[in-house]
Amino acid sequence: MGLSGLVNPYTITALDGVAYGLLLFVIAAGLTLIFGVAGVFSMAHGTLYLAGAYIAWHLADGGWAGLGLALAAAVLIGALGGAGLAAAVRPLTDRPLDQVLATLGLAYIAADGFSTVFGAEPRSVDPPRALAGSVSLGGYQYPVYRLGFIAVAALIIVLLIWLVERSRTGAMVRAVVADPGMAAATGLCTRRTRAAVLVGGGVLAVTAGVLGAPVIGPAPGVDTTILVYSLIVCVVGGLGSIRGALLAALGVGQVLTLGVALVPGAAAFVLAAAMLVALSVRHRPALAGRPA
Amino acid sequence: MTTILTPAPAPAPAPAPDTATTQHRSVSRVARLVPVASGIVVVAAVALPWMVNAYVVSLAATALVMAVLAMSAQLLVGLAGQPPLGQAAYLLVGAYTAATLATLTNLGPVQLLAATAAGAVVAAVTGLLAVRVRATTFLMVTFGIGELVHAAAGQWAPGGSEGTHTAPVVALPGLPPMVRPGWVYLYVLACTLIIGAAVIVLTRTRFALLLRGIAAHEPRVQATGHHTSRLLLAAYTLAGAIAGAAGALLVAVTRYVSPADAAMGISALALAAALIGSGSMIGACASAILLVAARDWAGGLLSGHGSTLLGLSFLALAYLPRHRLAGLVSRRDRERT
Repeated sequence: MGLSGLVNPYTITALDGVAYGLLLFVIAAGLTLIFGVAGVFSMAHGTLYLAGAYIAWHLADGGWAGLGLALAAAVLIGALGGAGLAAAVRPLTDRPLDQVLATLGLAYIAADGFSTVFGAEPRSVDPPRALAGSVSLGGYQYPVYRLGFIAVAALIIVLLIWLVERSRTGAMVRAVVADPGMAAATGLCTRRTRAAVLVGGGVLAVTAGVLGAPVIGPAPGVDTTILVYSLIVCVVGGLGSIRGALLAALGVGQVLTLGVALVPGAAAFVLAAAMLVALSVRHRPALAGRPA
Repeated sequence: MTTILTPAPAPAPAPAPDTATTQHRSVSRVARLVPVASGIVVVAAVALPWMVNAYVVSLAATALVMAVLAMSAQLLVGLAGQPPLGQAAYLLVGAYTAATLATLTNLGPVQLLAATAAGAVVAAVTGLLAVRVRATTFLMVTFGIGELVHAAAGQWAPGGSEGTHTAPVVALPGLPPMVRPGWVYLYVLACTLIIGAAVIVLTRTRFALLLRGIAAHEPRVQATGHHTSRLLLAAYTLAGAIAGAAGALLVAVTRYVSPADAAMGISALALAAALIGSGSMIGACASAILLVAARDWAGGLLSGHGSTLLGLSFLALAYLPRHRLAGLVSRRDRERT
């Protein structure tokens, strides 16, 4: 067999699935932490991705400078967006439905703003020229940018898992996920932790938008698509769990690429079944939101 | 008896009975006004095609479809306390059922019944997923289901993402097909009133009381020996049936169905209408009509910024103190039951 036997159209599609899955994870990690820590299901999370993708489209100049500028803008906009969301849901504490409505309202207004400013047609974003070509993988051409994206996303994921599971900040975040009352009793400022997680999730989503724009380009409706898939990742991975989200994201990425190539049209059913299994295996509603 | 139990009768708290009676009096006055007001509304609704132009009439027919969908959402969020964000999926199922059946018969009531049944079946199957969770997670899961149905429709439904056109429906055997918006509107109005009457009968049953119990405190309903997930599944199935009926009415109005009919905005609008209606079915219908007017009519005046208007109304809904209003309405309901 060897390497040439390993490389066939299906493994190439599977590699696409890894890139898609890692992209979904970077977005969904923010969503799952926001839900776990702040109890907020942010309907504006896909909007943040779309904002990042439009930033990439606007600032892309085919060189590294454009990408760097776009990333810097992404961090700024993501932090501002996250802080804005934190301020928006702050008066609605303990009213989860109103938080959903408020973030949904913001998402609608932002979507209208995007289509007014950037037009209704889909935009394609070119990666920097140095990464624009493709490499030969056992006789198949594969875009360099996607390989680079997989490497960068893997780096982000390692950093994120280290931050959540090994650092002091992460310990505080996990404490608030597990038991907000007890965390507050030990002297943690849960309000600040909640705001920090919303800001962090915002930065992650907008950065994912900049990096992912050449993979999933900006267009009206992309915000909803991204929101749904990252939501499914959160539900399948167990709300509030980072490692669960990683596994779920890789699985969902394969379903949406390899699954679509093997059995066209079955993706929706597979994803619904995955949610059903995840919700059946996991326990009762009283424990929803706890880390798995 | 009371004198034995309370040997030293304490002076009765004077203001409490007073406020209770005045409240009761005002509530009964409101209750007496409801039939009169609804009679006036129905007469105005029937007279509408003779008063306004064809565009407004077709807009009103769309608003009635949304009102039926809002009742479907209200059954879940207003009675059982579980907010659904995927009701448009069952509307789409009903609409495609009606559109498929339209190749065999263009009889509207047959399409309506078939769409109702199809909505109920699909809701019963997908509801297995939704009733495992509650509250915000219920909203997230129903949102996921709705979007998956939306995506599956683009793959599997006849016509793909382009959608499919249907022939105009016939209200009763022997009548000509309804092409003019006025007749379509009157047909949709009649169906809406029948569905509304059925839903209002449903909200007076013991089943509806149990659903209210789930919303208030689920463990107590369980402690009285009821299987709450099964009750919720039944409610979800009924809500799917109503949404399926709304789908058949949509096909009657637009003579066209595409996966875009199950877009998130439709489900969100239905949920928002139910929430503005704060527990009451009539309130849900009225706010659905207002929201459609805001989106299509006022949005048309603002050159296509209807979704900003919708977003602003969601924000208003989140921040305005509607809970006080909800308290008033639920108090009235409690006195009635």
